[in-house]
Parts: sequence; C-alpha cells; structure tokens
Amino acid sequence: MTEHTVPLTGAPVSRRATALTPPPAGVWCALPMILLFLLGFLGPLGMVVLYSFMPRGSFSPIGRPTLENYVDIVAQNFHISFGWSLWLALLSTAILLLVCYPLALAIQRASPGRGILITVLIVAPLFVAENIRLQGWVLFLDKAGVLGGSLQALFGWELDSLVNNVPAIVFGICYIYLPFMLFPMLLGLASVPHDAREAALDLGASRWRLFRDIELPLAAPGILIGSLLCFVISLGAFSEAKFLGKGVIVTIAQDIESAFTFGQNWPRGSALSVLVILIAGVAVFLAMRQVRLENLLGRR
Amino acid sequence: MESSLLSRRLLALYLSLVIVVMYVPMVVIGLASVSRSRFFVFPIRRYDLKWYQDTFDSLQIQDALWTSVSISVVVALLSVLLAFFGALAYARFPWRGRSIYRQALLIPVFFPQSVLGLALQLWFNSLGVTMTWQATIFAHLVWIAPIVTMIIAIQAYGYDSSVEEAAFDLGASRWQVFRDITFPLLGPGIFSGFLFAVLLSWSNFSLSYFTSGADVTIPEWLYGKMIGGYTPMVPAVGFLSVLLGGVALTVGLLIRARLGGRR
Amino acid sequence: MAEATSAPILTLRQIDKFFGDINAVERVSLEIQEGEFFTVVGPSGSGKTTLIRLLVGMDKPTNGDILLRGKRINDVPANRRPTCMVFQSLALFPHMTVGQNVEYPLKCRNRPKPERRERALACLKVAHLPESYYDRPVTQCSGGERQRVALARALAFDPEILFFDEPLSAIDFRLRKTLEKELKDIQRETGKTFVYITHSLEEAMVMSDRIAVMRNGRIAQIGTPREIYTSPNSRFVSEFMGEVNTLPVVVDDSGEVVCESLNLRLPLPASLPRDKRSGSLVIRPEDLRFARDGEGLIRGTVFNEYLLGSRVQYQIRVGATTLLVEQLRDTDTAMLRDQSVALTFTPTESMLFLE
Repeated sequence: MTEHTVPLTGAPVSRRATALTPPPAGVWCALPMILLFLLGFLGPLGMVVLYSFMPRGSFSPIGRPTLENYVDIVAQNFHISFGWSLWLALLSTAILLLVCYPLALAIQRASPGRGILITVLIVAPLFVAENIRLQGWVLFLDKAGVLGGSLQALFGWELDSLVNNVPAIVFGICYIYLPFMLFPMLLGLASVPHDAREAALDLGASRWRLFRDIELPLAAPGILIGSLLCFVISLGAFSEAKFLGKGVIVTIAQDIESAFTFGQNWPRGSALSVLVILIAGVAVFLAMRQVRLENLLGRR
Repeated sequence: MESSLLSRRLLALYLSLVIVVMYVPMVVIGLASVSRSRFFVFPIRRYDLKWYQDTFDSLQIQDALWTSVSISVVVALLSVLLAFFGALAYARFPWRGRSIYRQALLIPVFFPQSVLGLALQLWFNSLGVTMTWQATIFAHLVWIAPIVTMIIAIQAYGYDSSVEEAAFDLGASRWQVFRDITFPLLGPGIFSGFLFAVLLSWSNFSLSYFTSGADVTIPEWLYGKMIGGYTPMVPAVGFLSVLLGGVALTVGLLIRARLGGRR
Repeated sequence: MAEATSAPILTLRQIDKFFGDINAVERVSLEIQEGEFFTVVGPSGSGKTTLIRLLVGMDKPTNGDILLRGKRINDVPANRRPTCMVFQSLALFPHMTVGQNVEYPLKCRNRPKPERRERALACLKVAHLPESYYDRPVTQCSGGERQRVALARALAFDPEILFFDEPLSAIDFRLRKTLEKELKDIQRETGKTFVYITHSLEEAMVMSDRIAVMRNGRIAQIGTPREIYTSPNSRFVSEFMGEVNTLPVVVDDSGEVVCESLNLRLPLPASLPRDKRSGSLVIRPEDLRFARDGEGLIRGTVFNEYLLGSRVQYQIRVGATTLLVEQLRDTDTAMLRDQSVALTFTPTESMLFLE
C-alpha cells in the first residue's frame, strides 16, 4: 500500500541537459540550418513580398509602395491560371489519397524485407528527373506512341492523342508526386499498432469500422502530412502542363516565370508568388497545428 | 490479420500494377533511345544506337554531366555536414528555441519548388549575385538539407541516448563520446542522408532551372531540347541518366544494408 | 556486514535540486560508509534517480555539498569522478562487442591494449561471464548476460563507488532473484561501495547493509533492513514495505487508543506523545494470528484465500474493513468462506503512528 506520489512530469526538458551537454550545444548545432533557412528561404520570400508592392516593371525593392500588381492579378486574368493551379493541386491530392492508401496498406501488410523492397521500388523513380518521366508518358500516350502504335499494329484501332488535355496533366501530376503522398502515409500507418487492429476485429468490428474508428484516427497525422505535402508541392507544378498539356492551360508557375523572365516585370511575378505563398502558408499552418511531426518519427 | 484471400490478391495485384505504371515511362524512353527515326513512332521501324554515340560525342552533354555530378556531390557533402548538427539540435540537445526550430525546419520542403526557385532568382538578382552552378548548390541545399536533417534525426531517435551518458560516466571526454559513440551510431543515417541528397540533387529540375544561369545540368539540357530542338538524343541522355541514378541507388542501398546490420 | 570506518566515503550535506519551481531533492543529508551496500528506495517520483544523478555527476545540485572522502566534488564532471553508474537501460554500446564495451573506460584512460584485455577478462570473470564472450557483439547477448556485461564494464576502471539505477527492474522474477544474490556476493568479494536504487523494498532488504527510504524528495528514514522493518518511523515507511493493514484510530479522553473499525481498545504506549488525538494503527499481515476460541481480540469472517507459494494470505472481513492475514501454509488448517474466525495479535508488534 504505497502512497503514489506525483511524478515529476512538470520537470522542464532541461532535466536532460546534464554535464554532458553544455546548455548552448543545441543552439550551436542548429545555427547552420537556421542561417540556411534565413538566407535561403525567409530572405528570398521576404524580398518577393517587398517587390510585390513596387510599381510595375521596377527593378528595385525600394520605391513607392502600390497595390497595382495585385489589382492586375484580376485585371489581367491571372486569376484564371491561379485557379487552374489550385484546382489541379486539389484534384491531384484527392486522387492520390485514394490511390496511395491501399498501397500503403499493402506495403504495411507485407513482411518487413519485402515491404522495404516495394517501397524502394516505388520511391526510386523520384530520383529520375521529372522531365524524363513525363517525356516517357508523352511518348507512350501520344498519337503514334507506344500505346497508340501497339493498338494500331495489333488491332487496327486508331487512337487519338491522349495528351494535350487536362486529364493528362492531372495524371502527370499524380504520377510525379505519388511518392510524396505515399511516404508520409506509410509513416502514419506504421503508428497503428497491430494489436489494436486485432483487438478491434476480435471485439466484432467490421472492416469499415476498423478503418473509420481505428486506422483512420491513428494514421491521420501521416495522411495529413502526405496530403499537405502533395498539395503544396503540386501548386508549383509547371512541367506537366507544358509537356502533357502542350499549353492547353497555363499554370501560375508558368505565369510567374514569364513575368520574371520575358515579361521583365519583377513586381508582377512577385505579387503572383505572394498569392501562392499565402495559400501554401495557410495550408501548412492549418495542418501543422494538428500534427506534431516528431511524434510521427520518434518515441520521444 | 485475417483478411480474405480475394482482398489480399486484389491488393497484391493493385500493388504490382502501380509498380509497373511507375516504370512505364522509363521503359518507353529506353525504347525511344534505340529507334532510328527522328520522331518516335511505335512499333519501332529500325533500331540503332546512333543516338547514344552522338551523346557520348557531344561536348554539351559532357559539360552538363560534369555540372550535374559536381552539384550533386557538393550538395550531398554540405547537406550531410549541416544536417548532422541540425539533427543533433533536433533530436538530442534540448535548447530554448527547439520547438519552433522543429516546426520551422521542414517548411522549405513543404513549398512549391518552382516558386522557391523563382524567389531565389529574384533574391540573387537583387543582391547582385551572378547565378552559376554554385548558386544552384545553395538552392538545392535549402530544400535538401532539411530532408537530410530529418533522416539523421530519425536515426538519432533510434538508439538509447543514455549510451552517451554512460560513456561520459566511464571517463570519456566529450570529443571521445562524439567520436566513439554518437558518430558510429548515427552512421547509417548519415549515409542514407548522403545517398538521398545525391539523388535528389541529381534529378532536380525546378530549382536548377531558375538558379543556374548559364550553367546547365542534365535535366535542364533535356528540358531545353524538349521545348525546342528535339532530338532523339533526349531519350538517350534520359535513359543514361536513369541508369546512372539506378546504379547509384542500388550500390548505395547495398552499402547501407551492410552498415545497418550491426544493431 | 560493513564495519563502520571512522570517516564515511561519501557525504551529502543538505543537497537540494530544483527544476524550475519543482524541488526534486530537498535538504538531503546522509553518509555512506566504505564497503557498504547502500540502497535508496522510494516510489516513482520520490527523487531517488535525481539524487543518484547528482552523485554521479550528471547533474549539479542547486545547493549543498557532495564530499568524497572529505573532498568536495560538486564541480568535478562525471567523467573525472572515480564513480561509475550502471544505467536502468544498461546503456551498452550496441555497435561494440562485449570486450570493447568492458574495455571502453580503460581506452578512455589510454591504457595499452594488452593491459586492457587482461583487465577486461578479469572483470568478465568477476561478473560470471565466460571468456569466450569477449568477442561477442552485445546485441547477441541475453538480458541476464547484458546485466553482467554492464557490471563488468562498470568495474573495469576500478571505481571507488558503483551506482545502480534500478538495473533489475526489467527482467523476469527468477533471473532477478539470482542476480540479486550475485550482486551481493560480488560486492562482498570486491569490497567496493555499492549505492543502489530501487522501488522495491523487498529487493533492498535482500541486498543492503543499510537502506534510505525517500519520499517527495526527502529522506523518510535511514537504517538497516531490520530497523526499517521492525521500527518504521512513519506510516509511509511502514506501508512502503508491502501489503499491511492500516486502520484509523483516535485517542479518547481516558488516554486509550480506540480503533472503531475493529472494535478494539488498546493502551497508549508510554513512548508516544500524549497530545495527539488521531492516527493510524499498522499491523503486518504476518503478525495477525488466528486465535483459539475465547482468546480473540477481533471477530470476523473469511472472505478470500490466496495461495502465495509457501504462505497463505487470507482476507478477513471485519465489519466494513478487510484485514489481511498471512501465515505459513499449514495442510491441517482449512478455512471455508464465510467461516467465523477470531484474530489476535501482540500489540507491541504493531505500529502506532499519531499525528
């Protein structure tokens, strides 16, 4: 009958900062990455924000602030390409959610060795430049491509080109960004303990209940991170529209690029970029509030 | 886990289908690279290795190859260096700003690359920095170093941190703890991170395109030809690039498997 | 048994450790004799791990002094103290062999290879590990073997004091019992001072020369196992020993101790203060006996019977209270449920705590 005393849960994390780790060790170690972040990310983005308020066509971040670039976004119909990019990103993310979940399940069920092999196989194409992979699809789906050509040779069917349309673009985006959805999903599913599943089944849960009440809530962080990653990264897609869509639509990234290069209009390009940054920022902020990344990765 | 044979079969089929689909483009590129005709038609009328010959002869490609390899290696080395300390700050040493650091670290990864590339271009232009392959190294680092940091941090979570305290208690100096305990135990993670960095940098297009200025990497060369001046050297170079990447990945994984064996 | 030498090997004077506002260790003072097996027990959160970490050098006390053979070592870092800790997780280096683990402290002290090997083999022997284990990777060792490797490693550089942070908490009962006795033997053979922490008083009693019971960062009592067991100084310490019967009592005007739940009146012992009005009566289960008819002080009915190997434990219902009675298994006596029984005990063997 021992009395249970209150454990030291309130003890601040400095409990572990012992003789071995002088207090500033963490700060010194983090410094290089912090500098990289400031100089390579915050700095450039901050510069972009500054430029977005500059008069059209100016090449200096210092000047008379104006909102004309933002007005132009609507006035010059850039919101169309922005809408397209947003739509493509959302659609692709939704599709990838459905496509990757069964994949992740299948990989998780496989034996550890095999699971790793499969994961490597699926993720390996990530290390091949997107141009090449997209070009491969073009040659596959185009009029005289592998698909069309074989069908013609074998059955005499004539197939119109399957590219130069929006579905092809969506397909391209999904194809390229699949690993970005799969990987976090795998991490998320890994945190569903095997016994929890078995216990639920033993208690009488149907497959659907198992999914809804057990798997989904526990794997949710990983799924959320995967969706976020896919969405945000595919916002910046532009090769797919160029090659698989052959210009049938224009994405916001292409518009930004034109503004910076041919258009010689840095402020315009910046304003467009700020739009994208805002959307990405809001998405990241909302998702990150729900998830603590380190819980996904370690048993801290 | 009990599940019907049918559902398991279906899942396995689905899995195989996806894997096949992932590799279709690479196969097609391989086919296109050996077709004699200038514009690809299928079935292939005539096979020829001419385009590979042209590739090996091309000085442009040799330049691009050199640029790509240099960037990849330097990016990987720098990433691992930065990420090693970044991971210790993430996973091992408590410090005041750590929770913000943990949240902020991966933000550059959760960001559209093309927009980042363009922002960097603006940044470099405003600062008067000439964009060359070195600027591209910096651009790649912004995106790749955080990823490598996470890879090493995962490794750091994977072992009992009291071994470091134990070593200290047994008489090791801080340097000895680092050299004999921390570094070897993090080894597999460091190697994985290096491998990832090499491959991610090798295949990167968006960031390179906007920041390399006059220098050209392989993906950039491909892009340029695909936009205008298409030649079947494109699939040839593309396929070689795939092969190189594949070889690096396989060798790397084998080494990693060897390294990770002693746990 | 340790002979009390004139000067203790380790002295703690008014040690405090604060984490922010939380006082994890509060005004702890004690002396540990050389060659002693000294154990600190306490429930989770009592501060015992914090205290050990202060003594080993992993943390610094907020106030107070730690003296090793009279010399203050507060500012000596862990890697320079002639002390060594066996961690709860053992903290063996997973990427090294048994031999490399054990030799590590010697490597840090730049001893030449032949000397290291010789010393490592000697330590393996003390820890009852065969020499053939020298080249074995630690990941291939079983739980019990790992304990021994950790011990051998701790002994390697001949520290003055060895600290143990609950090293046996994660292994099975049988192995634990074996290792407890072995640890005690090794301590006696080597003559070193062992400072051990555990949350199990039973474990402490088996191995220790002296025990310190901690509660909420303070020392509740220090004494030999016998002293702690027979004369606990507070209800907390007495309850820490295991399952005991604790009953509320009041002191009435006539100066007698009244236990309402048992319908019992007892005289107030002379040694206790006269001015306190309430408290607890603690009776150990083995001190309660079944009385022959007419003799009993307490009447109740049998509620449950538990066979604990060589002993039997009975739950006896007395009114609204349940008492635990323990005795050696006796094949002659058989108790039936709801059987009426009478219990008795010797008041001097029970413990009375007034507050």
